[in-house]
Amino acid sequence: MSRILGIELRRSAALGAVLTLLVAGAGLLYAAPERWSAGWMPLVMTQREYLVLLWPLALAAGAWQSRREHRSNVAELFVSTARPRAQRMVPTLGAMSIGVVSAYLAVLAVAAPWIFDTAGYLPAAAFAVAAVGGLALVAAVWFGLAVGRLVPSLVTAPALAVAGIGLLMVTPVADGSREWVSLVFSPMYGMGQYTDFQTVYGRVSVAQAIWLTALAATGAVLLASGSWRIRVAALLPAVLGATLAIMVVPRDDKFVVHPIDPVAQEQVCAEGSPRVCVSRIHSGLLSEVTPLAREALAILAKLPDPPTTAHEDTTTYYPDTAPPRQADVVLIPVGVDKSGHLAHKATVLSEMLRMVGANTHGCDAGGDTPVSRAATSWLTGREPVTDDPEEPAELNAEAVTLWRGLQGLPAKEAAARVAAVRRAALDCAELTGLLSRSAR
Amino acid sequence: MMRTVSAAETAPTTHPWAVHAEGLRVRAGRHLAVDGLDLALGTGVHGLLGPNGAGKTTLMRALATVVKPADGRLTLLGQPVDGRADLRRVRRALGYLPQQFGFYPRFTVREFVEYLAWLKEMPKTAIPGAVQRAIDRVGLTAKADARMKTLSGGMLRRAGIAQAIVNDPAVLLLDEPTVGLDPEQRLDFRTLLRELGADSCVLVSTHLVEDVVVACTDVVLISEGRLVHQGTPDTLIAQGGQSDAGDSPAERGYSALLRRHRAEAGR
Repeated sequence: MSRILGIELRRSAALGAVLTLLVAGAGLLYAAPERWSAGWMPLVMTQREYLVLLWPLALAAGAWQSRREHRSNVAELFVSTARPRAQRMVPTLGAMSIGVVSAYLAVLAVAAPWIFDTAGYLPAAAFAVAAVGGLALVAAVWFGLAVGRLVPSLVTAPALAVAGIGLLMVTPVADGSREWVSLVFSPMYGMGQYTDFQTVYGRVSVAQAIWLTALAATGAVLLASGSWRIRVAALLPAVLGATLAIMVVPRDDKFVVHPIDPVAQEQVCAEGSPRVCVSRIHSGLLSEVTPLAREALAILAKLPDPPTTAHEDTTTYYPDTAPPRQADVVLIPVGVDKSGHLAHKATVLSEMLRMVGANTHGCDAGGDTPVSRAATSWLTGREPVTDDPEEPAELNAEAVTLWRGLQGLPAKEAAARVAAVRRAALDCAELTGLLSRSAR
Repeated sequence: MMRTVSAAETAPTTHPWAVHAEGLRVRAGRHLAVDGLDLALGTGVHGLLGPNGAGKTTLMRALATVVKPADGRLTLLGQPVDGRADLRRVRRALGYLPQQFGFYPRFTVREFVEYLAWLKEMPKTAIPGAVQRAIDRVGLTAKADARMKTLSGGMLRRAGIAQAIVNDPAVLLLDEPTVGLDPEQRLDFRTLLRELGADSCVLVSTHLVEDVVVACTDVVLISEGRLVHQGTPDTLIAQGGQSDAGDSPAERGYSALLRRHRAEAGR
């Protein structure tokens, strides 16, 4: 059997499938590395999203391989041999699945060096996401083999690929806002990432694995069967698998719609003081973030009761979460650039000092731009400038006036007024006028 | 050359005939291409002759267990072949070269013959040696590692014979094996046939009466799905007279038998 498997690996469509999937998968990943450069989980999720192309390709590869038997007219000879059809199909099924799984893993291997130095956090869920991706390709190629056998036409492979893309596209539209349905039946659904903290819950992966295994089983039975009765029976695994998967998949939005991994969000701190921490998934960036964050803390130290700690801003918009407003903590905006390093290095400091280092998440008011800008400028000792060309000129002019006023004050009084602005910002209170009157 | 002989090979045969058909009827589509054929074949090389449409290929397909007989009795190696029988044991002892030999073009000769050996459920350890021997016997040694799609017509035919004989079949069915072979290859093939017929039942379908006379121990002539004549090449030759059509005694015997059969059928 192993020798025959070797022959099939060399001579079947498995090699072509490996090459096609590898080129397509790696090409898509490297076309936009910023989508997955933040870590292992973003990488495996992005790869799953690209199943939009790889999954239909695997379907087509299966159908293409199946046509070999029809095209080469071997049925007459093979029927006269002793080995049952089901056994004869085992090396083909094996070779094709080895092909697609190794292509899927090879794509990961090609992407891994890109983030190897910067990606630290490798949760078990990442292995589950990648495993389900490989399983999705096996199910596709087996099902494609079955369809190619039942309809041995030249157009079967391309038609099946188009149908596969159509299915992946239509499922989320047709699920009637029951996202968990799409999550079960579309191996790429839910892999679009709004934050680096996004994850796929274990029960979701289990439900997907159940459905894909059932689909693969149906494909294998259809391929191996000799009679129409068995072909009808082959639908049984698919029906059972779909039912079981629907029973297993969680339906709570918390697990379905852009779920967040709280462990990835946990703060990991640098050694030494003052304390500087980033989220676990960005822990590889700690050495890049720490000097900038400590510089910001040093600038804020001019204030009475200055903040002593800097944490990563782990705000997410889908779902809407934000770190608590704490007086002694300054938030660090951490983005990852396409090479996996800290993005927007030049603006991290100014972003940290905006609003005088106060976390204003959840405040209704947008704050008073001239006041906060003037206060920040007093801290840095640089004249206020705008970074928004659309902004009305009088806003910055007012900030400059307020800043000059602060500079004219004794340092202690100026520091007290700026500290008042920071306190007010933390309380979501009104900032207007705080720099113009003496701080109590 | 020495080889291991299995218990099954040395077991005494319990069946008088390797192939035994009684009143056999086989359909080709809706047409009864084999229509009440009685035939008994033992060890040796049997040449199957007959005009186009006589039912030679349909008979071959029935003996190869590809089509089920519509009526009558057919036993292969003592085992009945009908719709319900488990044919696995019989099929292990079959070798078959179909008239239209299908193959996987990307496989090498060695790979394809090995694949067929696997399909014939040969013991794993015996396969590599048997594959090499079969390829050597048909004279494709130099082409063993060439892709099937690169072979000429004659080479393909020989690759087809190699896959048919790889399992040392007790019943070997060759449907027009000499198509595409050049004269020298045909001579080699006759030698191979004689070797094979020494200990197995070989049925060779052909249009070449001369091949049959030279290489076969037995001649089977069928027409319109029925047995017309079965005997040695000498008895075939004895049927012909100077007035019968043909360039050789055997061809004249062949024409005479067919002419007489048609006359009887027309009566």
